[in-house]
Amino acid sequence: MDHIAVRTKKLSKSYTQGLYALDDISIQVDHGKVLVVMGPSGSGKSTLIRTFNGLEPFDEGEVNVLGIQIDSTYDERKIRKIRKRVGMVFQQFNLFPHLSILENITLAPIQVQKRRPIEAEEHAMHLLSQMGIATHSSKYPSQLSGGEQQRVAIARALALKPELLLFDEPTSALDPERVNEVLDVMRRLAKQGMTMVVVTHEVAFAKEVADQVLFMDAGKVIETSTPDLFFSNAQHERSRRFLNQIEKK
Amino acid sequence: MPNKIIKSGLKLLENNIRDLFSNLLSLILRLCIISAIGLTFFYIFQWLAITANWKVVSSNVPLFAFGSFPSDQRWRPSLWIISLLFLSIFTLIGPNRKWLRRILPFAWISTIPIGIYLLSGGLGLLPVASRDWGGLSLTILLTGCSFLLSLPLGILLALGRQSKLLVIKHLSSLYIDSMRAVPLIAVLFFGQLLIPLFLPLGVEVDRVWRAVLAFTLFVSAYISEDIRGGLQAIPNTQIEAAETLGLNQFQITFFVLIPQALRIALPALANQAIGLFQNTSLMAILGLVELLGVGRSLLANPEFIGRYIEVYIWLASVYWLFCTFMAILARHIEQRMAIDKPNLVP
Ligand SMILES: Nc1ncnc2c1ncn2[C@@H]1O[C@H](COP(=O)(O)OP(=O)(O)OP(=O)(O)O)[C@@H](O)[C@H]1O
Ligand SMILES: [Mg+2]
Repeated sequence: MDHIAVRTKKLSKSYTQGLYALDDISIQVDHGKVLVVMGPSGSGKSTLIRTFNGLEPFDEGEVNVLGIQIDSTYDERKIRKIRKRVGMVFQQFNLFPHLSILENITLAPIQVQKRRPIEAEEHAMHLLSQMGIATHSSKYPSQLSGGEQQRVAIARALALKPELLLFDEPTSALDPERVNEVLDVMRRLAKQGMTMVVVTHEVAFAKEVADQVLFMDAGKVIETSTPDLFFSNAQHERSRRFLNQIEKK
Repeated sequence: MPNKIIKSGLKLLENNIRDLFSNLLSLILRLCIISAIGLTFFYIFQWLAITANWKVVSSNVPLFAFGSFPSDQRWRPSLWIISLLFLSIFTLIGPNRKWLRRILPFAWISTIPIGIYLLSGGLGLLPVASRDWGGLSLTILLTGCSFLLSLPLGILLALGRQSKLLVIKHLSSLYIDSMRAVPLIAVLFFGQLLIPLFLPLGVEVDRVWRAVLAFTLFVSAYISEDIRGGLQAIPNTQIEAAETLGLNQFQITFFVLIPQALRIALPALANQAIGLFQNTSLMAILGLVELLGVGRSLLANPEFIGRYIEVYIWLASVYWLFCTFMAILARHIEQRMAIDKPNLVP
């Protein structure tokens, strides 16, 4: 039990009746492992990882994150407990435009974790220099490139010292030449043993970093396997068709 | 063949004559317009410089500025107005140091209590009753106090209107909608005539503060709608990002929503402030001797009888000057605070 970071059991959700965004999903991610989630648009990838930190309520089943169990009754107290220990990075960065980079990162440590401002700022500067963007600390988000903004978003998530990081297509909104600067940061995090669930279509990244690849379609888990197996010899016809398509791009 | 040549020659002649006429016509038209404008300006200038008697203004400048504030104490409102001016210029120049920019809003807020202290006295200064406040200093005080009080009330009302608690939501909506359905002058009458009736015996709220209360109640309803517009313009993903970081509802509202809503609503808020500045002149009808009130009282003075045009031209210029200045200041702050324009962010 202790080695499990995320586990879902018979997790189901539908937005419109009869149409499942998540259909009976049971998966497990161990501590220190990286799970890459793939699947065509609308298959429910975002919905799935957003249930992990309570951004998306669900109808049936249960989700256990870091030992905290939530079910279809939306228990705010438990969800807030989870959020304090789980970071998330979004496709559109979602930085706070009215705060400087440094303030973006220190807001939650100061307000939520009640850390001393000086200490929070030192930690933030340390994270920013790890991301290679320490010189931008007093700028505002709109003054940064997409890749830089996404690295700030990662630093913001890391500032809370999370035990689990969720990424929802973190490189999809970036220019192709900017993708790697973000993926490099994620590679390093994985190497440091961070537990991560990553929705992405970056095959090279998945091959290199993932411990497991999960393929979804129409709200269902089609297959889960190691990246080696998945990319060379996918079991299901649906997965192979998907892989063919993204290889063409 | 020659026929053709003659025809084309005639055509050329015709064109030339037509051009000549149209040129002549436009020349005459131009002359007419220019002389009309010139004459108008000449008469206006003649009236301003020769016919008009500006004594009504020139001999009463202190009255326009301070009302019947005791003359040996006039340095107090002067000091206040001058410090406001300096702060405005300082804001316009835009200090380069970050901490200076940080304290700017607080400096602006603190001008209001300082102004009240300087006008009313006490604590070492000679007390001056509010009935002796007047002129421009009273106009500025009414505007500043009312706006400063309506801002937090407007924010609360805007949040209330979006509240999940139905009682709060409906009460806020009821308040906002009914305030916006009543003319300002009615609210001001209510403040001056009816509030004293509702107060228990022995409790008296001074006229100036009754006016400030009435303006606050009125303007906050409009401000709340501006801020609600700002709140609605904030994408939901901002709230999600904040929730993900573990911030609670109050922290999200305070650190993420209100600052962004205020920035978005800034042009509309500046409008409200300028409108409020002008609307304080309504208090002249209700017995306060603010800027317009001074003008009215002077016109009632036999010495200056019939000098309407001079007084009103003067008042219009003063209001124009201040409102324009406020608009420039607001635009400047707006540009500094712009959140989606990379090059303008401080
Ligand atoms: N707010 C919503 N209301 C109704 N239906 C929704 C809503 N959000 C998602 N859905 C539906 O749920 C399904 C899964 O959506 P989801 O966003 O999880 O897909 P995804 O795999 O992340 O797709 P993408 O790759 O485009 O991001 C889709 O069919 C989508 O239309
Ligand atoms: Mg998605």
